[in-house]
Amino acid sequence: MQTVGLTKRFGERTAVDGVSLVVPRGAAYGFLGHNGAGKTTLIRMLLGLTRASAGSATVLGLPVPAQRAEALARVGAIVEEPSFYPHLTGRENLEIAAAVRGPETRSRIDQVLHRVGLDKRAGDRVGTYSLGMRQRLGVARCLLSDPELLILDEPMNGLDPGGMLEVRRMIRELVEEEGRTVFISSHLLDEVEKTCDVAAIIDGGRVIAQGSIEELVADRAGELVIECDDTERALSLLAGDPTIRNLRREHGGLRMSLVAREQAGEINSKLVTAGLVVTRLEPARRSLEERFLEMTTRLEVAA
Amino acid sequence: MTTLITARQMIWADVLRLRKKRGFIALVLAAVIAPIVIVTGYNVIQHASDPAAHAPAGGLHNYARLLDMLGVFMGPVAAVLIGAEAGAGDLAAGVFRDNVITGRSRLALFLARIPAALIVCLAVTGLGFAIGLAATFGFAGGLPTPNASLILESAAWLALANAVVCTIAIGVASLTGSRPGTIAGLIGWQLVLSPLLVQSSSLGSLRNGLLDGAVLFLKPGPVSGSPAITMSVAVAVLVLLVWLAVLPSLGAWRTRTRDA
Repeated sequence: MQTVGLTKRFGERTAVDGVSLVVPRGAAYGFLGHNGAGKTTLIRMLLGLTRASAGSATVLGLPVPAQRAEALARVGAIVEEPSFYPHLTGRENLEIAAAVRGPETRSRIDQVLHRVGLDKRAGDRVGTYSLGMRQRLGVARCLLSDPELLILDEPMNGLDPGGMLEVRRMIRELVEEEGRTVFISSHLLDEVEKTCDVAAIIDGGRVIAQGSIEELVADRAGELVIECDDTERALSLLAGDPTIRNLRREHGGLRMSLVAREQAGEINSKLVTAGLVVTRLEPARRSLEERFLEMTTRLEVAA
Repeated sequence: MTTLITARQMIWADVLRLRKKRGFIALVLAAVIAPIVIVTGYNVIQHASDPAAHAPAGGLHNYARLLDMLGVFMGPVAAVLIGAEAGAGDLAAGVFRDNVITGRSRLALFLARIPAALIVCLAVTGLGFAIGLAATFGFAGGLPTPNASLILESAAWLALANAVVCTIAIGVASLTGSRPGTIAGLIGWQLVLSPLLVQSSSLGSLRNGLLDGAVLFLKPGPVSGSPAITMSVAVAVLVLLVWLAVLPSLGAWRTRTRDA
């Protein structure tokens, strides 16, 4: 899936501003942003639910909206939250979805219900389902057409930790065992970090970073974390070093900024020579949440 | 071939969602059957209590009243309820969006609603007609009863009258996206405004364009009495076709252009 300069304006307001994305095949792709950042609007344009004001998009290599029908026949999607007829059972809702998809999908109903673990509740009315069960039924509906690409808008919304774990596992299985591409929009940074291989961060309608999760959380400022048997001594040994900045205690160890990453070896040597036992020395790895907040805050300050 | 199978499956899927809405179906059946049962029951009791003063509850006279109930009053009310649910039910449930993102043509989604709603509407009308017919014969006493030809003509007229209203209701519901708005608007039009306009002779030939006027004009001869508006059969059919073309077309257009 690819977008080039995709833009959506609502009157004077620009909801999505020249977004260019490349979603690799066979990966879980996180589309991360605050509520109202433009995530759902972008998904709606990709699925032909609303027209783009400018730019272009291809889904599974096919241009949308020009070849929307062909493209979407191989896509399963949940936008905002999965909706169902509450007076019908889970199975009947899937029968309706299968009827719209085409005759070949009806035979997959039992299989997808089993796949999402709803086979035992398939005969119950959807009105009695928990949110987590409705999310799973939504994924089952997506899988009816055996899609190459799944687009899930906020799939963790409203789920308890157990439900989040279930959905996360399911997404990883869809990617790793079945080779599907899964595009997830979310404002839950931790979940994207745990679930996705690649991510883009959107803020104010613009993509401000994209890449693998490793790249996004990588420590570009050269921060180092050290743990040893005597933190106080280590602190006093390193305090006078002019090449070390921002030295501070953190979680029972020390954290500091280096001028160059190669200094790590010298610091280790200095501590060991002083008779300290170094139990941990590694580049600081910030969470995606920290990285996200750092980037979005920087943009807010610049604005 | 696949297109035909898909179309058939979509229609039956829509029938499924309509018929499984039990509260709604109960309401529709009550709207159609309850008046027949109440009126017939009342007439049966009156006739039983004083046969000299009150005619039997069945027979041709009561058959004409049955047709009015099913073709002019409660039948169209049920048709509006069914049409509104068929036209805007998927929007109300939020499922329309999920149907659109399958890549299926929006026009196909709209068109599937019509036969599905008509199947339910005609089943309900047929049930009401069957109950009324049983009362017509069962409580006829010595009164004349309708012959087979009149029964067939009446059935066809009832099917036409309610199918037209149901299709229009689908169009209006698809256009507005609102079930309550469609139901209030069309029932108000059908039961209050339209009958008043049909009776307003000052409107002259403008009344020929009214749906009610055309439907009543086509009512089978032996039980129709004298229609409020006279027109040729061709004009009556044309009026029905115009109503059937305009509002459903607007509904189809809105279904195609609506932000899902």
